[in-house]
Amino acid sequence: MRKYVIISLLLFCMLFFVGCSFSQDGDGNEDGDNNDQASISIWHNFSGEDLRAGVVQQIIEDFEEEYPDVVVDAQAIPVDGYRERISTAAAAKELPDVFLGYPGSFTDEYYEGDLIQPITPIFEENPEWEEGFLDEALDIFEYDDELYSAPVAISATSFLFYNKELFEENDIEFPTTWTELMEAIDAFNELDITPISLGNKEPWVAQSTTFGAIADRVTGTEWFMDAVEQDGATFTDEEFITALEYFQDLVENDAYQEGANGIDDTQAQQYFAQGNAAMIVDGSWTISGLAGTVSEDVLEKIGVAVFPEIEDGDGSGNTITGGPGGGFLLNSKTEGADKEAALDLIYALSDEDAQKAIAESESLVMYDVDIQKDEVSPLFYDTFNLLKDAEFAPVYDIYLSSEAAEEVNNGLQDIMLGSDLESVAENIQKAQEK
Amino acid sequence: MPNSIKLKGLLIVTLLPALLLYSIFVIIPIFWSAYYGFFDWSGISESTFIGLDNYKEALTSSIFWKSFKNNLILVVASVFGQIPIALGFALLLRKNNMMQRFVRSAIFFPMVVSTVVVGLIWGYIYHPQIGILNQLLEGIGLGSWTNSWLADPSINMYAVSIPIIWNYIGPYLIIFIAAIQNIPSEVEEAALLDGATGFKKLKYITLPMVWTTVKIAIILAISGSLKAFDQIYIMTGGGPAQSTELMATYMYNNTFMVYRYGYGSAISTLIIIFSLILIGISQLVTKRKNDDAG
Repeated sequence: MRKYVIISLLLFCMLFFVGCSFSQDGDGNEDGDNNDQASISIWHNFSGEDLRAGVVQQIIEDFEEEYPDVVVDAQAIPVDGYRERISTAAAAKELPDVFLGYPGSFTDEYYEGDLIQPITPIFEENPEWEEGFLDEALDIFEYDDELYSAPVAISATSFLFYNKELFEENDIEFPTTWTELMEAIDAFNELDITPISLGNKEPWVAQSTTFGAIADRVTGTEWFMDAVEQDGATFTDEEFITALEYFQDLVENDAYQEGANGIDDTQAQQYFAQGNAAMIVDGSWTISGLAGTVSEDVLEKIGVAVFPEIEDGDGSGNTITGGPGGGFLLNSKTEGADKEAALDLIYALSDEDAQKAIAESESLVMYDVDIQKDEVSPLFYDTFNLLKDAEFAPVYDIYLSSEAAEEVNNGLQDIMLGSDLESVAENIQKAQEK
Repeated sequence: MPNSIKLKGLLIVTLLPALLLYSIFVIIPIFWSAYYGFFDWSGISESTFIGLDNYKEALTSSIFWKSFKNNLILVVASVFGQIPIALGFALLLRKNNMMQRFVRSAIFFPMVVSTVVVGLIWGYIYHPQIGILNQLLEGIGLGSWTNSWLADPSINMYAVSIPIIWNYIGPYLIIFIAAIQNIPSEVEEAALLDGATGFKKLKYITLPMVWTTVKIAIILAISGSLKAFDQIYIMTGGGPAQSTELMATYMYNNTFMVYRYGYGSAISTLIIIFSLILIGISQLVTKRKNDDAG
């Protein structure tokens, strides 16, 4: 029997040691306080090989060189799994010192959970930096008069990309109003060309790229903000039903290719780039997506415009849904030398030079920078300038509660499958009321 | 007697580490998640105790029952698709020559492909415009049969079942071949002498001899299809309009997309309870069949 006791003791010891060695590198925060050396961890989603990821990773490397007594543990997590990784870490109370957060309901949750702290000190130290941001860039990260982040990106979600060649060859006029859009859709359908390519398998796509733009043109921004607050406006109002009707119009007039709910956004972009569809309504990510996958002469055929105006609508016709993109957040538990270093790192990642470098890597930023025409691709240059002249309209899923956003997403798929508008509107209203 | 005690001791001691790890990573989390199910918790901010509300909400939600029904479709597809097909192949491919080994590997092959890749491959096969399936149908003159397989709610649940059947035939095939090869040759010879050949031999010798294995395979198929997630998540994400939602995708969407950790935990607990019930039913059903056969 004694032999087994010894064996079992040995096995237990092994387990114990394995457990210990895991927990040692799990928490890098503490050992920084003993001497002057700060040690900070940062999680972001600029992973992979694209230009922007390279720029951000370079900034972090430069920072490490400039501050030799700061140890930076940087982790680049692929975009698709990023939200899950961060929320799991938050649930386990193991958030890194600095991490990329998305504006709106994402950051709201972290603010309400007391998991982040303001980064106002860097704004006070660098007043001229704050002025460079475009209007409204910082508002969304402001809670109780304190700023919690500075955006390093724009999420602009509703550009109308179009295939110039298809319009010219078939002598179809490019639409600037809803009526003209419907005429163009009919004309392309007669030629057996898909008018608008859509990949709505992940159901945020129709909501984020198309419906937000339609709804803002129909209801106006103010109505939407009231409906979000449930202050004098609800999603069962006639305005909103009308907005849903416009979307239904697109579906019923066969604007989209068959099975649009079964393919994803990337596949829809490919379908458009291959010349099978005349238009695609999609976000700023499409530019880098297309630049990475299609040849240059295809890229030259692609033009960009704002979504057509809706004649009877209450909203402006020259809006693009979008707003500040992600920015870096500071863990509320980071203190002392670590906090100083973390603030410096956040500044290095979002200051004017960083914003310019990111813009030159063909990624839109919320900062007033000038880019040279010959340094970027024509499509990016056109998009960037289009954005400077247009106004921003709210993206639905940034402002709605996550449950209501999910209802809008599923509701639009429902409408594409023939569901009636009233019940969709009711579900959205119910979710937002909660 | 001392020998058997010694053996037992050895068994306990050698099983202990595995059992310990299994408890830490599987059993304790199950109870932990059942406990989280009692809270209204976003996973981030403070949680409030709400008793059985999450469980009540899940059990009265039409989407939850729809996803359960979809899981049942998968269970039926697995039990009546995977197992008979695998058993049929096992009977055909029980010999060990070159050709049969090749076919066996070919059938097993999807199993070693990552499930995400399986989802992507079938996503393209089903693609409404450039997919092989629609093009094949058009090529053989059945253009009217083409469909947007993953987007049409009346068929997409069946469409997503096929890749899952295809994906998991391999392991059952291996299990069944092993079971068939384990039938003692004396029994087969005796049957031959008694004049049992072909179908008769299958019915009175082979099937009863491998029935225990079939029962295990049924349990594996049921539990596998109740926790099915990856292929469907890649192919449809549970959509469009939640028409291919499974209990697991419903749980995932609620936990990570809508930030309802408490509700998501309650759903995971229900998945376990429902799985146990279904496995219990299958045990009862197959037991009776076994008695009949015996």
